[in-house]
Amino acid sequence: MSDSTRRPGSGRAGPHRPKLKPLGQPKAVTVRTDEHGDPVHVRLPGKTARRVEAVRERWRIDDEWWRETISREYWSVVLDDGRMLTLYHDLSDGAWYVQRE
Amino acid sequence: MSGPRPQLQSVPTHQGRGWAQTSSASNDEWLITTAPDIGWATGPGAGTAFLPTPLRPSTGSRQALCLWLPTFELRLELVRSPGLDSTSVALLSPGESTRRTIWQVSERAHEAGVRPGQLVSQAVSLCTSLTLLEPDPAHYDAATDTMLEVLTELTPILEPAGRGRVFLGMDGLGRLFGSPPRQVDRALRALFRVFPAPLVAATRAGMAPGKFGAWVAAAAASAGEPVIIPEERLVPFLSRCPVNVLPVETLVVERLERLGIRTLGELSRFPEPSLVAQFGEDGRNALAWSTGRRIDPVRPWHRPRPIRASLEFSTPVGVVETLHGALDRLVERALSRPARRGRSVTGVRLGAHLEGGGSWFVETVLRDPTALRERIASPLRAKMAISPPPKAVETLLLELTHFGAPSAQTGLFDRKDESGRAAGGHELAQGEVPPSLRDAVKELKLRLGYSPLYRVVEVDPWSRIPERRHALLSFDP
Repeated sequence: MSDSTRRPGSGRAGPHRPKLKPLGQPKAVTVRTDEHGDPVHVRLPGKTARRVEAVRERWRIDDEWWRETISREYWSVVLDDGRMLTLYHDLSDGAWYVQRE
Repeated sequence: MSGPRPQLQSVPTHQGRGWAQTSSASNDEWLITTAPDIGWATGPGAGTAFLPTPLRPSTGSRQALCLWLPTFELRLELVRSPGLDSTSVALLSPGESTRRTIWQVSERAHEAGVRPGQLVSQAVSLCTSLTLLEPDPAHYDAATDTMLEVLTELTPILEPAGRGRVFLGMDGLGRLFGSPPRQVDRALRALFRVFPAPLVAATRAGMAPGKFGAWVAAAAASAGEPVIIPEERLVPFLSRCPVNVLPVETLVVERLERLGIRTLGELSRFPEPSLVAQFGEDGRNALAWSTGRRIDPVRPWHRPRPIRASLEFSTPVGVVETLHGALDRLVERALSRPARRGRSVTGVRLGAHLEGGGSWFVETVLRDPTALRERIASPLRAKMAISPPPKAVETLLLELTHFGAPSAQTGLFDRKDESGRAAGGHELAQGEVPPSLRDAVKELKLRLGYSPLYRVVEVDPWSRIPERRHALLSFDP
């Protein structure tokens, strides 16, 4: 019934409906950590691994526990080639991501 | 087919305001409502079925068929969630953010003492197992539109009167479909194409000369047994009906009952001057309907095709500023549609699909016809402040529903209009797109089939989660 009565203008999804494309989507990266869990080497997709020269800042986000919990530990790091990256360790799936802020 | 039921007790209130339920005899009368037809897309025909209209004998159809699905909205919800069919269910009133009340209730809930109009707290204390459903007006209106669409194939003269109730003009259809019972059967069969059997089975059908007669006949009908009143039996049929079928002010009906006038037959014995002296125009109309002198033809209904624009958020949004920003983008989008060009906007609706199901809407009639973004968005923002979406928004929808003449009037010193720019002005109004860019996008669309340009929009700029702060929106002026 619900299918038959929904019209293109009122349905939840449609091929022509403009959708916002989020900017700054995280990308998976390979990170090697030390015994404390701090990042020491970062390898971006298709690049060679770089050593983490310094950690500028570190913070944690826990949010949206009512929906799909977001639990991240962020690291703002400086690589040995001088580049600055914002990485985060997703505490729910254990993976590392790089994100443009 | 069955004849009219003389023991008519369950009666329609006036002008599409639902039903004052008094009967429990019929096994079908188990869904009860008292709330008005509050509609996202009830359209200009809603609730105006019996408003006096100047008689134009050349248009409209004298023979009317009324199809009516009582408690249409709750039935649609039960069709969507069949598991609730045998439980105590109540639909919440739409458009309220505090002190929610009950709108429609199922038979089981009714047995437990739950009544339309009760506060939720009262209802839950009466029936602890009560399932409360949020209304989904967008879904109900889509169903109504579908119903109208399929019935248009039967007759071009179609007049909706709120959700779940429609009048069909049947003049001249005898040669096409046969006798009146066959015509009714044909209409019901058409509904089977779009609605599931339980919903169609609950449809009441009444056929009579004029909308009033058809409506009263539909009210007297039971599910699966249409009531068809031929011309010569209209007056005797009406004379047995209670006075509360009259589409007049409730106060008038109450006064008539207090005076001991219970049926239309009793009312018709009074001279017109006495009724006019007591009740004014309502008294005159009541007498005309009671005696069958006033026959309101079904008139073809015209609703301009609305212009719709919608925006789907990647994650549900509850931040008011974000919704305001999205509203601005939607208004710009809708105004730029070719279908809008040359017309100003006079009526607009803003709706949303909500996180976890349900929908929400506000609508407004603009004070002046306009084609300016701010003048359209501003009253909608004010409405949103009064009645905000109760949950986070998944998709925001905008509909331009009513249109006026082109709005050519500009301010004396306004240099943001096209003529101002042509005369040397360089400023563009907020949201306006330079003609050169518009042309470039048009060309790209011709080549590629889509616009490859995007605009960066703020979604939730203060979010702690970086990917929620900004987004790209297709740029298609």
